[in-house]
Amino acid sequence: MLCRLAAAALLAYTIFIILFYLLTGEQLHLRQSRGDLELPPSDSGTVELVAGSTVEQSFSVTIQRLERVEVQWGTYYRPNTGTVLMELLDLRDGSVLLSGSFDAAAITEGGLTTLAADKPIEGLYQVPLLLRITSPDGQPGSAASPLMNTQDEVEKGTLVLNGVPSSGMLCFAVHGTDYIWTGLHYWAFAVAGELLLLAGLGVIWLRLHQGKHSYVVNAVVAIQKYRFLIRQLVSRDFKTKYKRSVLGMFWSLLNPLLTMFVQYFVFSTIFKSDIPNYPAYLLIGIVTFNFFTEASGMALSSIVGNASLITKVYMPKYIYPLTRVMSSVVNLGISLIPLVLVSLVTGVQFKKSAILSLFFFCCVIIFSLGVGLLLSAAMVFFRDTQFLWGVLSMIWMYMTPIFYPESILPEDFRFILRVNPMYHFLKDIRLCILNGISPEPSVYVQCMLMALGALLIGALVFRKSQDRFVLYL
Amino acid sequence: MSRTVIEVSDVSMRFRMNSDKIISLKEFVTSAMRGKLQYQEFTALDHVSFTVKRGETLGLIGRNGAGKSTMLKIISGILKPTEGNVICRGNVVPMLELGSGFDFDLTGRENIFLNGAILGYSEDFLNAKYGEIVEFSELGNFIESPIRNYSSGMLARLAFSVATMVQPEVLIVDEILAVGDAAFQEKSKKRMLELMGGGTTVLFVSHSLNQMREMCGRVIWLEHGQVKMCGPAQEVCDAYEGE
Repeated sequence: MLCRLAAAALLAYTIFIILFYLLTGEQLHLRQSRGDLELPPSDSGTVELVAGSTVEQSFSVTIQRLERVEVQWGTYYRPNTGTVLMELLDLRDGSVLLSGSFDAAAITEGGLTTLAADKPIEGLYQVPLLLRITSPDGQPGSAASPLMNTQDEVEKGTLVLNGVPSSGMLCFAVHGTDYIWTGLHYWAFAVAGELLLLAGLGVIWLRLHQGKHSYVVNAVVAIQKYRFLIRQLVSRDFKTKYKRSVLGMFWSLLNPLLTMFVQYFVFSTIFKSDIPNYPAYLLIGIVTFNFFTEASGMALSSIVGNASLITKVYMPKYIYPLTRVMSSVVNLGISLIPLVLVSLVTGVQFKKSAILSLFFFCCVIIFSLGVGLLLSAAMVFFRDTQFLWGVLSMIWMYMTPIFYPESILPEDFRFILRVNPMYHFLKDIRLCILNGISPEPSVYVQCMLMALGALLIGALVFRKSQDRFVLYL
Repeated sequence: MSRTVIEVSDVSMRFRMNSDKIISLKEFVTSAMRGKLQYQEFTALDHVSFTVKRGETLGLIGRNGAGKSTMLKIISGILKPTEGNVICRGNVVPMLELGSGFDFDLTGRENIFLNGAILGYSEDFLNAKYGEIVEFSELGNFIESPIRNYSSGMLARLAFSVATMVQPEVLIVDEILAVGDAAFQEKSKKRMLELMGGGTTVLFVSHSLNQMREMCGRVIWLEHGQVKMCGPAQEVCDAYEGE
């Protein structure tokens, strides 16, 4: 039996590795460059771009694969004519890397022209570059003007207007991608992981043969032994939850939907948020966070609520919080149905990366189990925990961008998001489903570590205190 | 065949009793600050040792609060002793209170499976024995209706039927023989005797000395957490009665 399990573990790992490789696609190797130059806010025009005038901005970037350069334009709020020419030059030898001409009539006030490379250009890391903007046929009175920011400067670069160096910087942006080291060595990591797993299994096997006590073997035996009980308890939770209600389990579908509708009407009128596809954004937040509060809240009362059982029958006590979390997982599974429906109706393009969101849902589940174990143990000794947790989980909800975009938080409060695991899980689930791309590989490790960390703390506290539970019930 | 199944060695159990049971953080902090956190120790069991051999039926007698139920809970693993240890070989089915773990919104059938799972039976076993359980409980068609509609006698019958449908190696019984009407009581007593005859080790707590004499081979008399007397059932029961 143990041999079969070990083989299953190896197989599962291999399948996961291959699936992960297929699903992440490009994001495994490339990420949006951390050296991207963002568009500065504009506060002035440069020069009216007539024939013969030039706007030149020298700069250098730390981007490994340069993909596109954007310039922001002012039109003097009038229709313009003529064409503008954008060129990107390599200052080492003066060669033209990219060039493109744009119809000035198509440029809007504050609009962007984008000079995109057919294929990402490599080898420009920290190379001095020059962006030159000219116009072969611009007429005074009907020519556009690139915008600039007079307060800021480009590091190691200057803005030259018609040959005259000026202070300030052009309103331009440079985007590209960088290689991810771990991604490039993905297969090496995968094989190393497989070997580690093999070694771990080997150690367990050896210990088993020497007749030593082993947590892993014990856990497997316990799961085997209590599988039927766990299934019975989960189905009990599920059956009694909606017993004697007319709609029954449809409430699992309806609840998140109704919450979404209410919040959608409230917040789309108050905040006037510019979040694309707000209903889906909102629903993902609601479903995920609802699961967290439901699972942790149910686990919280699991020990105290089953006091009559705990004092009468022996079974491992972790079973109670575990089954509560598992019944919430069933609920989560059901509420994914409206999530998928709303996403389809509102036009979300499901890409293969959407499957990767399951990974982050797993993280949320593990995290909730950890929190639930901690809470259920605390609840036994201090009944105040339930009221405290009510308040805490509300604060937690407002600290997590469920119905608001994370951008509305002022910079000073950003640290709250960074230390909030639920924010990370939620952000990556949205990234996978709504944006159709996978986060970079290190994010997966980060999230799993956060979830396992919570589980470890919860399990340790629970284990240490469980023998005293029965005295306090 | 005279293998030792239960070995209780030097077991002590002490409870901390607060003058007021602290259940809220605020109370805890305020009374801790006032220096009022005094615990009274209450010794429920005081260095108790005994062994039970396979197939034996051991009775525990004693006044209320002598530590009988605590002893049973320690043996079934619900409580951890403060000192000493208990070794128990084989699967233990505790019948400390019948029907703990029943869910009143579920039907009798669902409760048989739930309660069976809680008592540690396997799924195959329950599927195989389901008919027998229902028949023994005499519930008939009521088995498909939620047990909140049951009378207390029906509940007790169902619980007893589920609990005794096993052939456990160790059965722990805390005064549960008097369930249902006279006919069912007779039937349940027969069932218990059947179980005991089948090589099961039984630990038995009762206040009825007649039952003790009838069913037990050996009896332990507990008083104030200590073993006052241990010996053949007739002897110990007579001594206890003479007290």
